[in-house]
Amino acid sequence: MLTGSKTTFKVRQMVPDVKDRMLSHSGLHTRGREMFGLCCLPGECVLQRAVLVRKKLSAKEGGGWLSGTLFCTHFRVAFVPQDSPKPDDNADPVLLGDHDVALASIEKVVAVGPSRTKLVTPNSSLKFTPEELVLYCRDLRVICFLFDRLTPETQAVEITYTIAKTYQPLKPGTVLSFQNAALGSIEMKQFLSNRRRDPDMNWFESLSDWEQELERVGATGWRVSSVNDRFEMSTSLSRFNVVPQKVLDTELKKTFAHFNEGRIPHWCWRHPRGSDLLRMASFQNNIYHEKDDIRNLELVLFGVQQVCVVVDLGEEMPSTTDIQLAHTRLRALCLGDISASVSVPDDKWLSTLEGTHWLDYIRCCLRKSGEVACLLRGGHLTVVLQEPEDRDMNCVVSSLVQVMCDPHCRTVAGFQALIQKEWIMAGHRFLSRINYHRDSDKEEAPLFLLFLDCVWQLWAQFPSRFQLSGDYLLALHDSLHVPLFSSFLANCQRERSRRSQHLAQSYTPVNGLRELPRGSPQEPCDPPLPPVWDWALQYSSQRRARFTQPVTQPASPPPLLNGNLNTNLDPHRHVDGMAGSVFLLSRGSFSSPSNLLPWRSSAGSASYRKSHRRAPSAEMLPALERLLRACSLSEAGPEPHEPLLPLLLGPCVKVWRDCYLRGALHAQAFTHPMPSSMLHPVDQLSWEVQQLREKLSQASSTSSSSCSSSSSSPTSSRTSSTPHIKLEARCTDSNLNQNANNGTFLFPSSRSTSHQPPPAPRGNAQTTASIKATSRPPTSIANPQPRPTGRDGAKHTFLFGHQPNNRPVQRYIPAPHAKPPRSRSSSSGGSSGIHGNNLQ
Amino acid sequence: MLSLGSSGGKQPAKPSFVSYVTPEEINSEKESPKKEKLPALLPGEVVFCSANPVLKYTQDEFSQRGVFGTLVCTNFRISFVSDEAQTEDTSQHFKNKLYGQNDIPLMCVDHIYGGYDDKKKLITGPQLKNKYPSKIIIHCKDLRVFQYCLTFTDEKDAKKIFQGIVHHCLESKSLKCVFAFSYSANNAEMQRKWRTVMFDSTDDWVQEMKRTKGNCRLVTENQAFELFQRLPQYFIVPAAVTDEDFQTAKKFSGKGLPIWCWSHHSGCALFKTATVPLMQEDTVSQNYMDRMLNAVAQNHLYSVKTEDLGDTLPSLQEVQLSYSKFKQFFLIDNSTDFWVSDVKWFSSLENTGWLDIIRQCLQKALEVVECLEKENTNVLIMEEEGSDLCCVISSLVQLMLDPFYRTLTGLQSLIQKEWVTGGHNFQDRCNHLHHKDKEHLQAPVFLLFLECVWQLLQQHSPAFQFSETYLTVLSDSVHVPVFSTFLFNSIQQRVSMLTAESPHTQRGPLSCPTVWDWSVQFDCRSQEFFINPVYTEKLRVDKTTKKSHRPKHTRQLSLPSSAFKTPPKKGFFKEETDSLKKMLRGKRLSRWMLSPDASPQGSSREFYEAWQRRPLDYHGVLLPQLEGPAVRVWMQRYLRWIPEVQIFGGGAVALTSRLAELQGEVQDLLRRLERQGRGPYLHDRPPPPPYPAATSPTLQLTSQSHLLRSSVRLSSSFPFISVRNWSFKPVIPTSVPQGLSFTDPDNIADKEDEYSETISLV
Repeated sequence: MLTGSKTTFKVRQMVPDVKDRMLSHSGLHTRGREMFGLCCLPGECVLQRAVLVRKKLSAKEGGGWLSGTLFCTHFRVAFVPQDSPKPDDNADPVLLGDHDVALASIEKVVAVGPSRTKLVTPNSSLKFTPEELVLYCRDLRVICFLFDRLTPETQAVEITYTIAKTYQPLKPGTVLSFQNAALGSIEMKQFLSNRRRDPDMNWFESLSDWEQELERVGATGWRVSSVNDRFEMSTSLSRFNVVPQKVLDTELKKTFAHFNEGRIPHWCWRHPRGSDLLRMASFQNNIYHEKDDIRNLELVLFGVQQVCVVVDLGEEMPSTTDIQLAHTRLRALCLGDISASVSVPDDKWLSTLEGTHWLDYIRCCLRKSGEVACLLRGGHLTVVLQEPEDRDMNCVVSSLVQVMCDPHCRTVAGFQALIQKEWIMAGHRFLSRINYHRDSDKEEAPLFLLFLDCVWQLWAQFPSRFQLSGDYLLALHDSLHVPLFSSFLANCQRERSRRSQHLAQSYTPVNGLRELPRGSPQEPCDPPLPPVWDWALQYSSQRRARFTQPVTQPASPPPLLNGNLNTNLDPHRHVDGMAGSVFLLSRGSFSSPSNLLPWRSSAGSASYRKSHRRAPSAEMLPALERLLRACSLSEAGPEPHEPLLPLLLGPCVKVWRDCYLRGALHAQAFTHPMPSSMLHPVDQLSWEVQQLREKLSQASSTSSSSCSSSSSSPTSSRTSSTPHIKLEARCTDSNLNQNANNGTFLFPSSRSTSHQPPPAPRGNAQTTASIKATSRPPTSIANPQPRPTGRDGAKHTFLFGHQPNNRPVQRYIPAPHAKPPRSRSSSSGGSSGIHGNNLQ
Repeated sequence: MLSLGSSGGKQPAKPSFVSYVTPEEINSEKESPKKEKLPALLPGEVVFCSANPVLKYTQDEFSQRGVFGTLVCTNFRISFVSDEAQTEDTSQHFKNKLYGQNDIPLMCVDHIYGGYDDKKKLITGPQLKNKYPSKIIIHCKDLRVFQYCLTFTDEKDAKKIFQGIVHHCLESKSLKCVFAFSYSANNAEMQRKWRTVMFDSTDDWVQEMKRTKGNCRLVTENQAFELFQRLPQYFIVPAAVTDEDFQTAKKFSGKGLPIWCWSHHSGCALFKTATVPLMQEDTVSQNYMDRMLNAVAQNHLYSVKTEDLGDTLPSLQEVQLSYSKFKQFFLIDNSTDFWVSDVKWFSSLENTGWLDIIRQCLQKALEVVECLEKENTNVLIMEEEGSDLCCVISSLVQLMLDPFYRTLTGLQSLIQKEWVTGGHNFQDRCNHLHHKDKEHLQAPVFLLFLECVWQLLQQHSPAFQFSETYLTVLSDSVHVPVFSTFLFNSIQQRVSMLTAESPHTQRGPLSCPTVWDWSVQFDCRSQEFFINPVYTEKLRVDKTTKKSHRPKHTRQLSLPSSAFKTPPKKGFFKEETDSLKKMLRGKRLSRWMLSPDASPQGSSREFYEAWQRRPLDYHGVLLPQLEGPAVRVWMQRYLRWIPEVQIFGGGAVALTSRLAELQGEVQDLLRRLERQGRGPYLHDRPPPPPYPAATSPTLQLTSQSHLLRSSVRLSSSFPFISVRNWSFKPVIPTSVPQGLSFTDPDNIADKEDEYSETISLV
C-alpha cells in the first residue's frame, strides 16, 4: 500500500478494494465541487453514501436527531443535514464541517443491529443490517448515526464496511497517507501556501516577535539572542532565546554545556511588578565549572534580579507515566465501552473518578502554578522553573502561571501566542507525547490535554475573566487528535523548520527526518501542514464565533510604565551585580540547600559561597513565605494583574463534562440542553439589545438633534455594522486594551470614525469614547456592544487569519432578517458569543 | 515553612489577622455601660435569656477571630447581636425578614456541642447542672455552624444562656409551644401573587381532576374526619369504590384505600395507598384488597400495576442514616477538617450512599412514568404509611409528566396536594418537637424529594420556572416555626390544633401563614431570585391547547418503533391486566404483593432511550439522567456557607448577572428611545426573533438587574452570601494534601524528615 500520494489516482490505489465503489471524485475539477450536496475538498472522493440517516445531536447541539445524508470519503465521514444551505462555490474549503469526523480521529466503529452490537474492523463481516452506526473518536466524542428504515439496506451495510476499511486505526505510516488524503492535492497545496497567517497573534518565530513580546510586558534588561539560530547550541530550544542583556553571545555559548540538552535558563514572561519567569533544564553535574563560566551562569540565572527562586518540578509533580495512566483510566471511565460490557456501577462512579487521579494531577499543577504566581506577584524575583528536561511540566506550569496572571493570555490571540511560545517554540515533544505514529508508546503522555483541562478549571471558576470560551478550549482539544497540523507534528522547532525547508525545495529527498516515515524516493514531498491556529480550516464561522465571549475590561488599562509597577525597590538590594541568593521552592516551603547550584557547592568556588550564600538567605526566607501567604489575605479586587487563584478543594475541581462526558452515549443530556428551535436567553436578549440600538440610531439619525450622548450607554455611534463585524470590532478593541502597555498604542480615533456609517456626528463618537474610558463601570460582563475605538473595515482579520465572507458593511440589519434556525447563530449567536452551557 | 492552618494557631499574632481582643482588654471593656442590644423582635416573640459579652467566632477555632455581642434566646430563635455598630448590610440582597444571618430558629438547631477545653461533646439534654462548657457549637439544619465562646461572659449569664439554649432546643415540648402559635403577624390577606392551589376545598380537587381529565370519585364524607383520621377532609378514590367499601376501610383506619394522585391524559391514573397488613388466613383483608385493586383496575382498561415501595426502596432508617453521614461533610467546625477531607472527597461522598438513594428514587419514579406513559396502565404505589416515599415517588412522577408542576405555583400546589394534604408526617419526620421517643421516626423524606427535584432542575434547567435558590429556601423553610405548612402530621391534627387554639386567642381560628406566602420571609426583590432566568415559557398560543394534551398523543405515536418491538418485559411491576380473576384468590394475592426480582435497570433503559431519541420538549415528558456522573451534589444547599469553596464570578451567578445586565440594557435603550420622543417605540418592543421559536424565555429579572450590576463580583454562594468571607487559609493549599494525593505512605515518612531538615535550615 502506498503511504501517500499526490494525485487522486494514487489515492485510488491506496484503497484498492473500495475503488469500484467510488462514487465520484472531484480532483479533476475545480475545488469545492459539490457532490450530492457534499462540498468536497479538491481531490476528495466520495466512497460511499447513505441517505435518510439521522445523526444524534449532543446536548450542546440541542439534542434530538438531525436527518440528512451520510458520506464516507477517503478523508472523513461527513454528514450533510437535509436542509443545510447550498454550499457556496467560492467559499474556501473547510476541512471538516460541523458534523464531520476526520477518519484519523475515529478510534472504533461499532454497528448496532436489532439485537446485538458488533465492533467492525476492516476484516470483519456483518451478518446483520445495522440500524445504528456508532463511531468512537479519539477525542472522546461518540457519534451516533441512525439508519432509517427507508435507507436502502445495501447502503447501510456498505457505508459501515467502507468506514471500517478506510478509517485506518493509527499505526506507523498511516498518518502520512491521511495527510495526503486531506491536503495532498495540488489545489489544496496552493490554497494552503497562499493562506495568510493571523497577523494579530504573536508567532514567536522571528527575532522581532520575541522583541515584541519583551516590549509588551515591558521587560527591560533582556535581549533576544540568536546564538542558537542554527540549533547548534541546543537542538530542542527555539531559534531565538531571551537572555539577560549583560551576557554576550560569546559568553552565552559557554553556558549551554552546563545544562541538560543545552537548555539554558531562558526567559518566559515578566510580571508587571517586575519579576521574571524563567525555565531551564537540570544542571549537568559532572562538569567542571570554570570561574568565567560561573559568572555567566549566575548572570543567566539571575537575569536582572538579585533573588532567584528555583522551583523544582521534577519530583513533586506527577510523572508523565502517571499522567498517561490517569488519562487512560479517565478515558475508560468516561467513554464507557459498548463492546466491553463491563461498566462502572453508577454508585461507584465518583470514587472511580477519584481513583483515576486525573483530578489530583490537575489540582497539583494548578497549585504549583498558583504558588509561582504568588511569588511573582511579590516583585523583584527571578523564578526559575526547573525540570530535568524542561520540556513537559515546565510547559504546563509556565503557561498556567501566565494564564493566571496575564489577562492578555486569556484572550484567544494571547492564548495562542502563549502556546506558541511555551509549548511549540519551547520544544514540547508534541509528536512523541501525542504519539500519532504509534511508535513511542512509552513516551505517550497527554500533557497538553492536562494543561487544557487546567485552563478549563480556571475558566470554569472565573468565566468572566476569559475572553476565550469553553468552546474554544474544546476545539483545541479536538484538534490535537487530528494529525494535520504542523503545530503538533514535530517535537521541536528544529524538526519543524527542517520540514518546511524541505518543502521549499521539494524535489530533494528527505534526510534525517526520523519522525516522518518516508515514502518512496520519488515521492516528491509531504503536503504542507497548516498550523492549528488556522481555525477557518476546521470550523465554520458560526462555531468560531463561539470561541470568544465578551470580557470585562479593566476600567482603565493598567498603568504600566515600562512594565514596572513596583517603584519602591527593596532597600537592601545588593549593588554588586554578581551577588544573589538562591532559594528552592519545594513542597510549599523554601530552603536553600547547598547543592542547589552545583557550581556553588563545588570546591572551586568555596570562597564565593561563603561570602554570599548564608546571610541573605536568613533574612529573605520569611519574606518569601509572606509572599505566598499574603496573597490569600489580600482583598483581591478585580485588578487585572491579580492572579486568578483557583480554588482547589474537593468540590471545586470538576470534571470537564463538555469534553469528557459529551461522548458517553448515556450522558448526552447533561447541562442545559438547548433545543435548536430555541434561543438561549442570552442570545435572545443580546438580539433584542441589538435591535433596540438600531432603532435608536435610526431615530437619532432621522432626528436632527444628537441627543444620544447619554452616558449610560454610549453605543449609538456604533450600532450599524453587521453582527459579525461587531464581534470583531469588539475583539479587536479588547486586544487594543490589552496592548495598551505595548507602546504601539492607539489608533487615531479619526480613523475608526472614518469607517463608520454616519448615524452619529463624528464628534459625538469621540466624546462617547472618552466617556466610556472614564466612567464605564467595570461590571459589564456581558456587554456585547462594540467599543467606539474599534477599527473595522480594514482590519477584519483579527481573530482568524482569514475571513471568507467579507460582507459589505451594512447600515442596518433589515428587521425581517429571517433565516432558518440552523444558520441563525451567524447573526445573533455571534453577536453575544455567550451561551448558556458555557456558564454552567 | 508554610503549613496549613492546623499549626496556624500556635504562631503568635500574624500581622494580617484582625487583631483579637485579649482577655485583659475584656475586663476593661466590661466596665463600660452594659448595652445589651436586642434583635428586632417579631410580634409574639419573647426573650427568654441573654448574655453579654459573648464572642462569636467568625472563622475557625484556630484563627481566634471573633466578634463580641449579645447572645439571645427567644421563643423563636437563638440570636446574636454584634456589639459593633451594625453597618447597614448593603451587600445583602437576599434577606430573610424573619431571621437574619446570625439567627437560628429553634427548630433549625440540629445538634449542640459543648466545647470543654479542647474536647467537643455532644449535648443531648440538660443533664449538666453545674458544669457548663466554655464554648457552644451549634450545627443547624440548614448546614450553618455557629461557635460562641462563653469564657468572657459572666459566669451566671453564661450558665443561664447555655441552659436556656439547651432547654429550648433539645427538650421535648408540646406542639403548642411552637412559635407559630404565638406568632401573630397581621397576615390577614394571603399574598395572592402565586395563587397556590391549597387543596383544602372540594373546588380545588374538582378543578384538579378536571385539569387532568380524571374520572374518579371525590369523597366529601370525611369533612369532620368521621371516617378516617389519617386522611384529609377531601380526597379522591377510584370511581368504583363504594360507600360500603368505606365501612370496610374504616376497620383498617383508611389503609388500603387507593388515593388518587394524578391522571394521565390517556386515562390511566396514579394512586397511592398505605398497605394493609395481609395475613394468609385473614379473608376480610384479602377480599378488601381485592376489591380495592379491582376498583383501581376499573379506572382504565382494567389494568393495574402495584408497587410496594417498602420493598424496593431504602427504608426510612437507611435514608436518615445516610443523610446524617452525608451532611457531616458540610457541617464543618473549622476548615481544617474540610481540607483534610479534600483528598478523599468524592469517594467519601459516595460512601454515604445519599446520592445513590436519590438515584433510586428517581429510578423508581422513572419506572412509574414508564407504566403511565408507555403502557397506559394504572399504577398503585403502596407503602406502610402511604405518606413517605409514596409522596416522593408520586410527586416526582407528576413533575416528570406534567409541565404545570414545573412552574412555581405548580410545585407549590403539588407539595400542597401530595405532602401537606397527603398527610406526610412532617412533625415526626423532622422531629420538630424533639421527642426522644420519636427520634427513630426522623427521616429527611421531604428533603430527599427536594434533592430529586434539584437533580431534575439541574439536568433540564429551562423546563423549570423555579430556581435552585427557591428549592434551597424551601428546604430551609421547613425548619422555620412560623408556618403551619410543615408543622403537622396530618390534616386532622392541623385542623384540630388550629381551631382548638381559637378560644384562647379570641380572634377566631388561628391563622398561621403558609410557607407559600413568601412575602413573610422575603421582599419582592428577593423573591425574584426564585425565578429561573433560563426558564422557557410555553408560548401563549400553545396555552389553549396545552390542557388538551393532544401534543402528547402525537408524540407518542412518533416513538420509534423499536421501543415497541420488544415483548412486554418482566419488570418488577406485576402484570395484572387480564388475570384479575386469578388474582382474587388469596393465596395468590399475598404472593402478588411481593415484588418479583427483576432488574429494574434494564427495564426502563429502553423506555429512556426511546424518550431520548425524540427531540427534547421542555413542556412534555421529562426524564432524569441517572448515571454516575449525572447525579450530583446540590452545591448551593450544601456548600453555601463554606467560605473556602466560594468562587468569585463563578457558578450560576455569572449567567444570571449576564442576563440581568443585558436586560438592564434593553430597558435602558427602551427608555432612551422613549426620551427621544418616538412614542411608538415605547410599546413597540422589537418583535421576537424571527426564528421559529416555540418558546420564549421569561424576562423577569427587572429589579435584580440593577442589584446585580451594582456588585462587582459575586461569589458562587450568591444570593446567600454575596461578599466573600475571607478565609485565613492560604488560597494555595500547600504541602499536606498534595503529598497525600499521589505519594505512597512510605514517602510521607521521608517527607517529614525533609520538613525537619528545611526547618532547621531556616
